[in-house]
Amino acid sequence: MRKASSFGPGTRIAVQAFMLLLVVASVLPLYNVVSASLKPINEYTINPLLLPQAPTLENYKYAAISGHLLRFTANSLTFVPIGVATYVVICVMAGYAFGKMRFAFRRPIFLLVLFMSIFPQLLLATQVSKLISLIHLTNTGLGVILAWISYFAPFGTYIMTTYFTDMPYELVEAARIDGASQYRILWSVMAPMAMPMVATLSIIGFQSMWNELPFSMLILQQESLRTVTVGIAVLRGQYGLRVPILSAALVIAMSVPLLVFLLFQRRITLGVTAGAIKG
Amino acid sequence: MSHRRGLERDGAAPYIFLAPLLALLAAFMIYPVVMNVITSFTEWKGYGPWKWIGLANYRTMIADGQFWTSIKNTALMVLYIPLSTIVTILIAAFLREGIGGWKAYRAILYIPNLLGYVLMGVIFSIYLRDEGALNMLIRYFTGSTVRFLITPIIAINTVGFLLVVFLHLGFGLIYFLAAMNGIDSSIYEAALIDGAGFWRTMFKVTIPSVRFALEFWVVFNFIEVFARMFSFIHTLTQGGPGYSTFTLEYGIFITGFSKFKVGYSSAWSVVLFFFCALISIAQIRLMKRRDA
Repeated sequence: MRKASSFGPGTRIAVQAFMLLLVVASVLPLYNVVSASLKPINEYTINPLLLPQAPTLENYKYAAISGHLLRFTANSLTFVPIGVATYVVICVMAGYAFGKMRFAFRRPIFLLVLFMSIFPQLLLATQVSKLISLIHLTNTGLGVILAWISYFAPFGTYIMTTYFTDMPYELVEAARIDGASQYRILWSVMAPMAMPMVATLSIIGFQSMWNELPFSMLILQQESLRTVTVGIAVLRGQYGLRVPILSAALVIAMSVPLLVFLLFQRRITLGVTAGAIKG
Repeated sequence: MSHRRGLERDGAAPYIFLAPLLALLAAFMIYPVVMNVITSFTEWKGYGPWKWIGLANYRTMIADGQFWTSIKNTALMVLYIPLSTIVTILIAAFLREGIGGWKAYRAILYIPNLLGYVLMGVIFSIYLRDEGALNMLIRYFTGSTVRFLITPIIAINTVGFLLVVFLHLGFGLIYFLAAMNGIDSSIYEAALIDGAGFWRTMFKVTIPSVRFALEFWVVFNFIEVFARMFSFIHTLTQGGPGYSTFTLEYGIFITGFSKFKVGYSSAWSVVLFFFCALISIAQIRLMKRRDA
């Protein structure tokens, strides 16, 4: 697209150069990890920066099997989708109630939910993990999924609320005149119309849960149950672990989020602005 | 939240729709916060018996140098918010001018946000070490080593810059570009015809038009600094060297989980809760203005 631009050709080149530099600076750490993951340890020690001379996949083999990265990825790929699906249903229902229904204490309850959307996890972590152990869900997928949904649902609900609020009320009235019940109105009329936002919400939920650390770290203490994120954090703390192996583990861990990005880039772009920009 | 037609209500249905959310929040948000406040008046290891000790934890906290270090470090992070805001909105304004490849720039700069704090923390812990790739480059050009994660004053500023400025850049660009996209392009054309240059247009057109987005951005950054830093610090510096990158949030983790002083760490949590309440009030006021 061609826009009105106040840049002359000289400025244009300078800005272009600046942007290129910025991109190089921000890609360099990622490049570094990928290149380190392909180097034997003695090569990395003398040459941490340049391309590998004799690329090897040994580090990947070690990280995937002995470092359990495959296992951790499988765990994340199990827990996160179940968590996201439940989260979406809960947020859609609550968002519809706040956005399009009338009931006592709607505003105070909504403000409370909004307030909870900014709680720091560390404020809750001790008590949440206590509670999870009290109901015998420590070291279970269900335990971590419950903690995730509860923690991320307030923001998701807020997003759905703003979306439903902006939808025309006539839709609800028309459906009601046709004799549809509240449940039918939500599931057959409003929810299908909210599908674009539901897709965005799913991406937001996926990113939040996939990258979550404190709760999963405390609830999934058994090694075989760790998510990728917990697995990486634990490997990082492992004293004496070689950088190329840690790098290979990182590249494996990066693969799923990057794949999601390539597939859903547009959705992610929309997700950033969800709930925060008017219109 | 704008349809208040008449007083008729929707009966039980809204409560049924809200039930799953409210049940989860009661159990995993409200109960923990209440218990946290209660625990802050006790001496408790996180298991076993507890003892009511009144305000003793708070007195210990006020006399605790680590607590004040954590407040100071958190405040230092806050100081990076203006820089983050200026850098982000400026680069967004550059890209808005239709610089070739702006979509690619926007996508590439978003990658760190996509990978999340844990992966980025570990990635930078490799990249920034004394024998790492960046120092290799720096030594090549200057002959000296910058001890990013070892020298305390550099370490805390590294965390602040990376977390507040760098890791939010990709997110901020998408966010501000979307906001700027909402500005009527004829205003820009008019500014151009009037002979306004980039800076004049920036201050007279762009910034006033995206004021709401800008205010949200600042609130968002406050939330990040007070409530979302744990994962990055845990994987990059673990609060170290010493206590130099120890923030309020990280202090709760160390006192509660490494030293098993849960009663005491709960007192820190109450302080953090207080800060978050202030941020939330700012956020709610902003939204009220937006909806008005």
